[in-house]
This record gives sequence, structure tokens and C-alpha cells, in this order.
Amino acid sequence: MRMWVYVVRRAVLVIPVVIGVMTVMFVLISALPTTARTCSFYHPSGKVSPCTTTIVCPGHPNQLCPNPVYLSAVSALGLNKPIYVQWAIYVGNALSFQWGYVSQGSALGTGETGAGLPSLAGQSVATILSQFLPYTIELALLSLLIILIVSIPLGNLSAVYRNRPVDQASRVMSFSGYALPAFLLGSLFLAAATFAFGGPAAPSKICGGSSTVFLDFFGSWPQPPCQPLYGTTNIGPVGYPAWLITGYISTPTGFPTVDAIVHGQYWLALDTIIRLILPALVIAYTAIAGLLRFVRNSMLEVMNQDFIRTARAKGLPESKVIKKHAGRNSLNVTITVLGLTFAAFITGFPVVEIVFNLWGVGRIYAYSVIGGTSSWDFGVLFGTTLLFTYLVVAANIIVDVLYAYLDPRVRLG
Amino acid sequence: MSVTGSPITRRPSNFRRNLAARWAQYRRTWYFLRRNTLALVGLGILLCFAAAFVYGLYYPASSSVPVQYCATNGVTVQNLTGGNPCYDAPNAICTYPAGSVAPGPNCYQTPVDNPNFIAPTMTLTGGLGAFPFGSLVYPSADLSVDNPQFYNTYDMLVKGTVNSVSISVLIVATGALVGLMLGALSGYYGGWVDEVVMRITDIFLSIPAILLVIAVIIVGKSSGLVTFNSTLFLIGVAFVIVWWPFYARIVRSQSLVVREQRYVEASRASGASNGRIIMRHVVPNSVYPVFVQMSLDVGTIPLLLAAITFIGFVLFPYPLIPEWGSVAAAGAEILTAVFTQCGVKSAVCSVPWWQVLFPGLAIFFFSLSVNFLADGLRDALDPRLRR
Repeated sequence: MRMWVYVVRRAVLVIPVVIGVMTVMFVLISALPTTARTCSFYHPSGKVSPCTTTIVCPGHPNQLCPNPVYLSAVSALGLNKPIYVQWAIYVGNALSFQWGYVSQGSALGTGETGAGLPSLAGQSVATILSQFLPYTIELALLSLLIILIVSIPLGNLSAVYRNRPVDQASRVMSFSGYALPAFLLGSLFLAAATFAFGGPAAPSKICGGSSTVFLDFFGSWPQPPCQPLYGTTNIGPVGYPAWLITGYISTPTGFPTVDAIVHGQYWLALDTIIRLILPALVIAYTAIAGLLRFVRNSMLEVMNQDFIRTARAKGLPESKVIKKHAGRNSLNVTITVLGLTFAAFITGFPVVEIVFNLWGVGRIYAYSVIGGTSSWDFGVLFGTTLLFTYLVVAANIIVDVLYAYLDPRVRLG
Repeated sequence: MSVTGSPITRRPSNFRRNLAARWAQYRRTWYFLRRNTLALVGLGILLCFAAAFVYGLYYPASSSVPVQYCATNGVTVQNLTGGNPCYDAPNAICTYPAGSVAPGPNCYQTPVDNPNFIAPTMTLTGGLGAFPFGSLVYPSADLSVDNPQFYNTYDMLVKGTVNSVSISVLIVATGALVGLMLGALSGYYGGWVDEVVMRITDIFLSIPAILLVIAVIIVGKSSGLVTFNSTLFLIGVAFVIVWWPFYARIVRSQSLVVREQRYVEASRASGASNGRIIMRHVVPNSVYPVFVQMSLDVGTIPLLLAAITFIGFVLFPYPLIPEWGSVAAAGAEILTAVFTQCGVKSAVCSVPWWQVLFPGLAIFFFSLSVNFLADGLRDALDPRLRR
């Protein structure tokens, strides 16, 4: 069939999966107590929060009255309607990116994350995630690049020189990387950095304090401003490295590297990328470990094919035989690697972002589950899960379409 | 590989021949495994872990006697038996035995019936600088590092081995069982059953594993369905929910191949029911990739658990559950807090590297050895890679 027909069919097939994912989210959300749902998904216009069923009666400080904001939240969200109506409402909201609001009592809402993040209470979850997403995307792209550069040639080599030192070394590397948790790598790095910088650094409150030596080398800039992100006239994130730029620059795209290039600050753009190298290496190391085995095994399978035997029988030099099928196979493997990596990435992001002080989506997600029962933020939690699911689904579609483009036999299926 | 025929016509000698053939196959697999040095190393390390597991089972835990601790600012330890103004003092953290009423704020219940509970103390046992095991610092719930609790690292590691290994094995076994059943059913019957099950696995595979696990755990705790003692059970349930689709997919693709085989056709011709065919033919012949995947997953689950615990390690609030991941996460949290809190709060300006390193090493060697074994198993079972 034609290419575009295949693309359309593939895209249409994904719709029940997406609806199914939303149904799973809905089942989880509907198990939450009603106060949690009104707290996270309703945007109050006044000062009274919808998070409690009762409030102190105005004028009678010893009595509790039912909370009118809570009641209006219940009716606005349709929480007293039958379950299928609630499901339909939720699916509609999820598709239109209305993922709730940061609740006031959560760690994110009160700013009690211990990380210098101001209070985000009342902000729309989707807007916040779109603010922090570019950092994660930059980190992901750099990690992907490193993974492709390292795993495919190394995997091919260890298949070709099987059981030789190259293979053994790559086997050790892949096993060790597979077994090393990302946070262990990151924490060991932090401990090493502590000793390298000569003892624990001075307090690093960005707002009103001096930044530490650590933050001169690591961490993403611009750091979030110390006043609320929105609703303020005082723009200007702080925390740019002082020796590169004074003052601030506006951020039209949200991607720090791209913004720096747009302003013509090429050293600033380079600095951004350099700050991302070590975190990207940490993420990539774990992913490379798993992929190295896969690349090696698929290359071995190809090398056992009949057409390779024929090529050797024809008298082609070995190097040419290998280049022939390495070239033939590596594109296929590349795409599979891309598809498989993406889902495996996501485990590493929150950890690496916390350890290296990068302000990405993973970190916001981590701050929404930190603390105990009272400081969880369900809007951000489920919003981030939906976001990453959308990304995984999109990545899978792209991978399938690339397969179909490269191998016409797939289109017949 | 398996002999068909209804039970009436099967003679006892066929059973012996069956068994001999199966046994010969196991011996062959063991022969190939033996030739792989790395797999043997992995097996050796795993045997050490098994020994540590047995040791941990019999290691005395602290839960048999309910005790009450109270301390202010991490300096004094008092062993209390009754009402005491200590409970109302600022920065006091106290415990009370199960079955009685909480005497004050910041009090948590000691789970008397949890066999793996290690009680915290308020003073350093062996000091923060004691090498190599020393005391484990657990920051208080508001992350202020101001009023830490101290656990004996050695106790936590020993009991942690028991918890981590048992939870990994149980999760993998249950997930594999569920996935095996569903995958075999959907692969064998085909049609709309297959479509439905495959769509469901697609849904669960699209959601990143760690996010779904955390969401299930959080919803489970918020909806009030679980108490403290069931936290590990809740985690197990969350992991099984996330993990079964992998196995279902593997088994389904294998059973698609198996159901076209001659012996299945012969079995159907001699009147075997569908259930019998699935149990006797489809399942045993689809199970080898499942074994390989199971051994890989036993190595992966402690890592995932450690990552989850690191992200929001107050998912396990007081007291700290002895488990590799939570111990390492508490240490790593201290490490990251050093950069922000030292100088502001005095409790931690030294770097307790040992409480990150030792559980980290345990996770590392456990996963490593399981991966070696799994790789050797895969090489031994797959004829194409056997050279």
C-alpha cells in the first residue's frame, strides 16, 4: 500500500491505545478520595481552597460549615455524575490538555521542595510542564546522540570480533551498566564532586544568596526565578553564569540552547551543552548497556544469513562482506535502538535531573511525589504520566513509519 | 519433545522415555552453561546471596518488643513507658506500640507484626564516622535534615537482602505466571480474544513502567486501602500490574508458532480439549524465552525499586523499610542535601558515602550476577548463538 495510507492506518490504530491509557488513568484517579480530586483538578477563583469539605464558618470561629467552594468544585467537575459521564469528561480534558492545577497544599504548591522553587499553586499543570519540557528534551536528544554514536559501532565490532577482547570488554561494560542504577552513578559523582571541590559547598540558595561552585559548572540555567513564574511584572530569571553574560536574555523558544543562538550568544549556547554532557552520559550509560547486547545479537543473526555465506563464497574480501551487511543492517538497527531507548530513558530522568540540578519535567515529577500523603500533587503526577505516554506513543509511531519507509514489505502487513 | 495421545493409549514406558528425554535436555543445557565462565561466576555470586538471604531470615529483628523512644534534637535517648512531656516537645519523634493510641504528634506506630522491622534509635550507634558500616542517617519527613533518625546500617543491609530478594523473586514469578496464562490463551485462541489482550498489553506497554508503578502505589496509599504493613504488598501488586504485559507478548508470539505444529494437530485429532492442549503442549513449549526474561527481570527489579525510592523515598515514611533501594536513597538524599543545607542546618556536613555505597554494591552485584546467568542461559538455550 502507499506510504501515506500506511501512516494514516498506523495513526488511527493508536487511538484505542490512547483512549485505553486514559481509561487506566481514570480508573486510578477515581480511586482517589473526592477531596484529592477537587484539590487537583479545580481552579478556584477566590482564596478558599476546594481541598477540604468543611471550613470554619465565617463569623462563627468555633463551628464548621460545609465548604461552598468544594461543593461547586464537585458539581463543576461532575464528580456526582455516573461513572461513564465522569470518564467521558476526563477523556475530553486529557485530550485537550486540561490536566488540572497545582494544588495548594502540595509540596509544589507551597514551594516546600527544599530546592528553591517558588510556589506554583494554582498554575495549570499543562502550562507548567510545557515550561520545563524543553530542558528534558535537550537532555534526551544529547543522550540519544551519545547512545547512537557508542552502541551501534561498538555492537557491530563485538559481533564481528566475537569472543575477542573487544567483545569481552563490551560485555563487561554492558553488564556493569545494566546493573548500575542511575542514582548510584549520580550519587557517587556527587560524592566525588564534594571532595573535588574541597568539602561541602556553601549554601546554594539562588534567591538572595551566592551560587555555589557546583552550580557554576553544573545545573541548567536559567534557574527558575524566585518570584512566581506568572502574574508578575518582574521578569528576568536569575542564575545565568556571570562570566558569560550580564543581565538576562529573553527566552522566545524556551529551549536554552536555541534561545542563546537566537540572541547570537554562541558561547552561552556551548555552555548549555557542556552542562548537559555529564548527565547525558549517566543516562546513556545505562541505556547503552542494554542496547549493546541487542545490537550485537542482531548483527550476529545477520552474519549467519545465507547471503553472507554466498558473498564469502564468491571470494569477496572479508572487510567488504562486513561493510556490505553492516551497512545494510545498521539502519534497521538504528531505528529499533531509537524506539527501544525511549521508554527505557524515562526511568533515569527524574533521578539524574535531581542529582545534577537540571530543571526538567522529571524533576517536577519527583517533587510531586515527594513527601507524605499530604504533599502529593495528583494533577502534576497524572499530567506527567500522560505527557510521557504521549511521547512514547509518538516515538513508536515514528519508528514504525520509518520501518515502513525503509522496508516496503512492512507496508503489506 | 512431548508425546501425544490420549491417556488410555499411553503406556507407562512412554512416560519414562519422556522423562529421560527431558532430563537429557536439562543436562545438555547445564553442559553449555558450564562452559560459560561468566555464567558460572554469576551463579557463584547468586549462591552467596542465597546464603545471605538465609542468614537474614534468622537474624534477630527489633520488632518483637514494642518500645518507645523519644528524643529532642537527636541527642538524648529515653526509654519511656508512659505519658511524658517529651511527646509535646518540639522536634520530638516518638513511637508507640501497635494497638494503643498515638500519644502525640510526630508519633508513629511500630509494626509489631512485621517480621523485618528494624527500630530506629536517636543516637549514633558507632558514630557517623564509623567505618565501614556505621550508622545510617535518615532525614526527617520534612527533609530538613534537622532531626535525623539513625539506623544500624548492618542490620538494615542484612534485613534488606531478605526483603529485596524476596520481593524481586515474587514479583517476577507472579508476573510471569499471569503473563504466561494470558499470553498462551490469546495466542492459541486467536481472533477477538487475541485482539483484546494485545490491545490491553499495548496500553500497559505505552505507559512508562516507573510512572505507572508510582501512580498505583500513590493511589493505593491515598485511597486508604492499605496500612503500613502492606506497603511492600502494594509495591508488589503495582509491579505485577506493570510487568505482566512483557511476558504475555513473549508467550503469545511463541504460542502462535506452537499451535501450527503437527503434534498439536494430532492432539486435536485424537480428541484433546483446548484446555488440555494449552496446558500440555502450548505452555511447556513457549516457556524457554520466559525463563530467560524472568532471570533478566530479577536483576532489573531492585534497580527500579531503588529508582522509585530515590525519587520519592518518603513513599516509605517512618520507619524506614529495610530494603536496598530505600537505604541507598536515604544516603543519596543526604548527599544532595549536603550542597543545600550544610551551613544552614548543622546535622549533616559530612558525607555518609557508605550508606550509598554498600546497598548500591549489593544491588550492583545482584543484578550483575543475575544478568550473567541470564545471558549464559540464553546462549545455552538458543542453538543459533551456541557456538
